[in-house]
Amino acid sequence: MEVALLLILLVIMLAMGVPVAFALFVASVATLYALDIPLAVSLQRMASGISIFSLMAIPFFIFAGDLMYRSGIAARLVNIADASLGRARGGLGQVNIGASMLFGAVSGSAIANVSAMGSTISPLMEEKGYDRDFAVNVNITAAIVGLLIPPSHNMIIYAAASGTGVSIGDLFLAGVFPGILTGVMLMIVAWFIARKRGYPAGVFPGWRPFFRAVVFATPGLLTAIIIIGGILSGVFTATESSAVAVLYTILVGVLVYRTIGVQKLIESAVSSVRITAMVLLIIGAASSFGYVLAILDVPTDLASLITSLTDNPILILLIINIMLLLLGTFMDMSPLIVITTPIFLPIAVALGVDPVHFGVIMMLNLGIGLVTPPVGSVLFVGAAIGKISVEQTIKTIWPFYLALIVALLLITYIPAISMALPQMMS
Amino acid sequence: MLERLTRMNAVLARILLLLGAAGLSAMTVIIGWQVYARYVLNASPSWAEQLSLLLMIWYVLLAAAAGFHEGFHIRIIALQVSASERTARIMRLFAELMVLLCGAMMVIWGIELSNIIANHVIPSLGISRAWAYIPLPISGALIVLFSGTRLIGEMMEPGFTAEDEIDALTKPVGDA
Repeated sequence: MEVALLLILLVIMLAMGVPVAFALFVASVATLYALDIPLAVSLQRMASGISIFSLMAIPFFIFAGDLMYRSGIAARLVNIADASLGRARGGLGQVNIGASMLFGAVSGSAIANVSAMGSTISPLMEEKGYDRDFAVNVNITAAIVGLLIPPSHNMIIYAAASGTGVSIGDLFLAGVFPGILTGVMLMIVAWFIARKRGYPAGVFPGWRPFFRAVVFATPGLLTAIIIIGGILSGVFTATESSAVAVLYTILVGVLVYRTIGVQKLIESAVSSVRITAMVLLIIGAASSFGYVLAILDVPTDLASLITSLTDNPILILLIINIMLLLLGTFMDMSPLIVITTPIFLPIAVALGVDPVHFGVIMMLNLGIGLVTPPVGSVLFVGAAIGKISVEQTIKTIWPFYLALIVALLLITYIPAISMALPQMMS
Repeated sequence: MLERLTRMNAVLARILLLLGAAGLSAMTVIIGWQVYARYVLNASPSWAEQLSLLLMIWYVLLAAAAGFHEGFHIRIIALQVSASERTARIMRLFAELMVLLCGAMMVIWGIELSNIIANHVIPSLGISRAWAYIPLPISGALIVLFSGTRLIGEMMEPGFTAEDEIDALTKPVGDA
């Protein structure tokens, strides 16, 4: 009964246009009232949902990503991708995906990825006669790959939400092959569409320009080594490595590329604070909501419901994936990680799925939610940057969705794709 | 009057965000210092992580309040945009009222929680744990101010808080 109240209120609040964080909060408070539990608990849960040490990596990753975009590191990564992938049929589509993967390796955010790549490559694509819908389709789906390729701040939220001490280093490693696999699937789809639509192929500029591009981008690429190498070797914690990445990026932007001044630095910090405040307020409210779900025994009830339907692990993972995909279409990624991890992770673990593997499944699954209507922040931002409507964007996007779904199924049912690397390193 | 209040709110929101930027920068320096101290000075400062977490809670909550003036919090406006103007206006008033209500709840329970926790001490910093809760009522009061202004604005001038989809798109949205 109270569960219905909680969910119906949430849907009404969201539909009316209440900001997501407060929609979650109002629904939790009203349900606590119905349960006769002191209401201040809701705010206490919200506060404690934000006061988690590992979450400090989030503002740092957002800040570093924004700085990389403003300092031109992103543009130099595009140059590498252009020099190596540009000659393929529909080369700029391949370049976009390749550059997104490289950018994913230095930044942890799909939004930073879609903005950086969209504003750098979309004008080029338009100039060469690519259709806008293709440009946006490629751009937004490629940004999802960045969620899998480490670093990824959503993996940090997952590690915090799992409560079982999932290692961030293992999660980062586990994302590498799934990220490459998903990127390659998207490249194949982009190649077929480019051939069908007759997009031009670029020319290979030769090895010299390629190495030049790599050399110019090296200071930026080193960020990836600092972050991932730092965490894996145990030199830094995730939070420390992300803070060092910020300091390093400032250094590169000011001293090497000379593209960052005081004004740009302030603007970058302000816009990172905006995104951080938005993300963390939602995480706090989602913790409050998750707490109410737990009081109502939703996690255990749902688990016994699913396991009473079937005890076939393949089917159970399919059910979980479908539920997450459906939730992902109308909710943002971070609150869903906070709310659904405590519900689904125990079911998955009972089936023998490694929490690290499950985290990777969740990243890609909820990432797909970011590019699907009615609510998908990456879809919205990507369409706005590509200067076409969301409707136009999704009219021709289905082959890319298909590629993402196939990648999701492969990653779900072949644990080795995720687990080979962390197992090899341990 | 309404215009002046809105302009004042805009200045206030900008100040809050600049404070946030200062907080983020300070946090970067503190964690950077922690690394430096551990490897170069061979002494890990025990206060560094706790202090930067406290900083983060403060600036996140203050900047989050500014978000209710600037409207950068993610929300679904698809239904508002497609509804008739009459219905859309009711939805806008309702949404703003809910924000106001949440602000008020943050003030009341934030003060309550700060009082309950006042005698607890954060060990590594030696200050009261209430410091981690005080930004809640402050943020709540700012939210009441910002959303109250917008609510009055929408009541006096229909369309005051209306956004079209393009406006919403060009704002910084969603993370992930």
